[in-house]
Amino acid sequence: MRRMRRVALTLLLVGMTGGCATVQPWDRDLLAEKKMRFVPHPAVQAIDEHIYFSKEGSTGGQEVGGGGCGCN
Amino acid sequence: MQLNPPTRSSSLRSKLSTAVCILLASAAPAVTPAVARADPPATQLDASLLIYGEHTRAKVVEPTVRVSRLFADGQTVSAQIGIDVITGATPSGGLPSGVSTTGPPGGDGVVSVTAASGGGGTGPSPADLPVTRFNDTRVALDADWQKPLGVLTPVVSGHFSRERDYQSIGGSGKLSLEMLHKLTTVTGGAGFNDDNVFPSGGTRAPLSDSTIIVGHDWNPKHVRGGLVGVSQILSRRWMIAVNGSRSLETGYLTEPYKVVSQMDPGSGLVVGQITERRPARRERSDILTSSVYHFLRDVLYLSHRYYWDDWGVRSNTFDLKYRHELQDSVYVQPHLRYYAQSPADFFRFGLVQGDPLPAFVSSDERLGPLRTATVGAMLGFTLPGTPGEWSVRAEYIRQFGKGHPDYVTGVQRDFNLFPPVNIGSLVVAYSLAF
Amino acid sequence: MASPCEVLVDCDNRDVAECALRIARDEAFRIEAKFSRYRRDNIVHAINEARGEPVPVDEETAGLLDYAATCHEISGGLFDITSGVLRRVWTFDGGDRVPPEGAVREALRHVGWHRVRWADRVIGMPEGMEIDLGAIGKEYAVDRAAGLIAAEVHEPFLVNFGGDLVASGSRRRQRPWGVGIDDPRRPGEAALYRIELHRGGLATSGDARRFVLHRGKRLGHILDPRTGWPVQDAPRSITVLTATCLESGTLSTLAYLKGAGAREFLVEQGAQFWIL
Repeated sequence: MRRMRRVALTLLLVGMTGGCATVQPWDRDLLAEKKMRFVPHPAVQAIDEHIYFSKEGSTGGQEVGGGGCGCN
Repeated sequence: MQLNPPTRSSSLRSKLSTAVCILLASAAPAVTPAVARADPPATQLDASLLIYGEHTRAKVVEPTVRVSRLFADGQTVSAQIGIDVITGATPSGGLPSGVSTTGPPGGDGVVSVTAASGGGGTGPSPADLPVTRFNDTRVALDADWQKPLGVLTPVVSGHFSRERDYQSIGGSGKLSLEMLHKLTTVTGGAGFNDDNVFPSGGTRAPLSDSTIIVGHDWNPKHVRGGLVGVSQILSRRWMIAVNGSRSLETGYLTEPYKVVSQMDPGSGLVVGQITERRPARRERSDILTSSVYHFLRDVLYLSHRYYWDDWGVRSNTFDLKYRHELQDSVYVQPHLRYYAQSPADFFRFGLVQGDPLPAFVSSDERLGPLRTATVGAMLGFTLPGTPGEWSVRAEYIRQFGKGHPDYVTGVQRDFNLFPPVNIGSLVVAYSLAF
Repeated sequence: MASPCEVLVDCDNRDVAECALRIARDEAFRIEAKFSRYRRDNIVHAINEARGEPVPVDEETAGLLDYAATCHEISGGLFDITSGVLRRVWTFDGGDRVPPEGAVREALRHVGWHRVRWADRVIGMPEGMEIDLGAIGKEYAVDRAAGLIAAEVHEPFLVNFGGDLVASGSRRRQRPWGVGIDDPRRPGEAALYRIELHRGGLATSGDARRFVLHRGKRLGHILDPRTGWPVQDAPRSITVLTATCLESGTLSTLAYLKGAGAREFLVEQGAQFWIL
């Protein structure tokens, strides 16, 4: 578990240092597209989370305090 | 702010238009009137329908409708209603009987053996996992609100749902902060659930015969959780995010209907069964890493989630989606997901009669050593002439596990106690902005 | 043009987009070279250094001078391309330096289109006066470039020279061009309002970038030719939509020159506008 924390922290730092290369406003054309989101289809994502929540033992990732159900 | 549709023209205006026409006549061809929509669409409608079926087990039909409204100051309010109709069967947690029977006793809530996969004869096969039939309808309501305040964006959400034996009330708040030329976004959030479980037929006593009922009250279950996340734009094409969350569940965490079989130490035949017992506390954590990369036209979505809790469950989830743009706003998006879970400490496929009872035990396969593999694809398109965007997604899910533990006895050693389950799902979704 | 210029073309062919960009760039450079008051080799320089002598001009320059004359007339003298000399006494750098009253009065002696003799493609004006086509040059260039591109390119496109823009038509599948209006409080950082533009020209007048602070009030860089001072009490930002960029730019400038009466003026003209 401690190792996972270290991996996550490393990824975080890598990400932040990578961000030192600024992306200019006129280069944000692609980033503005609707499909450039971490969750491109929220409705489908919610359906999936419900399916896997009721079939598996894990939760979480994106949201806290969302829907509860008697399925897990 | 002020805007006016053109209602009248003045003599100044007509003289000006004429002067412009004269000056530009050489270059600009016929000057046609300007067309602009002053107010972008403020309302969004999202509707979806899920049709889900597990081979020989549960079937679900779930329509959902969501409406969002965007206000002039950037505030967004959404409301959603969803209905879940679930029918079919689910494993009871018990072991295969090991003997042939002539027919299922049947009846709601009573353990019955179904005639499952292939195997000749009209009676249930001795190797089949016993299942429980059920049907239920769940209604869920969700609402949320968000408002951009400069570089901060708060989000508040509420949830209410109700099914025959479960009620959930939840809420959450989240705050995002954009920093460093808006390339970095830091998010923090907290949420809660105050749920209640009221099993049909009453709450069963733990580790006992399933006919012993200790009460008919509502059993509360409380969840408190928080999350922290950072997302970073690395380049014109690439953004990544790392999110971590932790939650604490207390109260009634047991599955109210499942049982644990007791097998004879020699023959392995099922000689009895008792109800489950799970701890009254569960601390869950996870770290989710995501990446979105934009190729020339296509986009690749990757994510990995590592999960662990204090029941001993550990899991890794790998998810890959590749959105491939075809012509004219049609796209196809294949999807792969792989999930591997190691079981809870107190998970047992069954207990050996005569052994001392453990403090906690569950045969719920969802806490067991399981893997899930998903293959699917989504097709997104618009229908010419009609507004809105459609998407259709078909997926095949296969769940399987290690079904040959070394602690079972006799005839149980011959059975695969975690037979693969084949699942198919179809989602049709529609989105319209107006 | 002294500002970032871009051409957007909604197509899948890179050659088409480059062709449009090339046409726009060539036309922008041509107009800049011909009409910039900072150059010493063009018609504007010749006119400004004529010391009272009449100067014959070509057809295009005549067209622009005719347009300026019409604007002067319909605005009751507010719109005046000879007011450029006033910029010598003002510095709009965000500081609080204002010129002494005497300097403004002296500069005003060389301001006034009514002192210009403009007829038969010949222009003459007293020594010390100057014409400055900066108020309409950029918008004119946008419309000219768009017209030339339209002759070669049949895909939808949008030409934007430093915030003055024109769109030839809707994007593919009837989608609009998303145009944001700069937040005057935070120029260049955020768009305060979003317009869905299908076709037409947009221009914005305001004081967000070039201004001077005087007695705690922000004064924009557009000068009232009657007083020699920046226009008082004008809105922070005026955006106008009409069929062409030139008409939009002229209307937004005229509105700005009206100061506190900008909104009423635009309502009277029946144009679509956004005041932030």
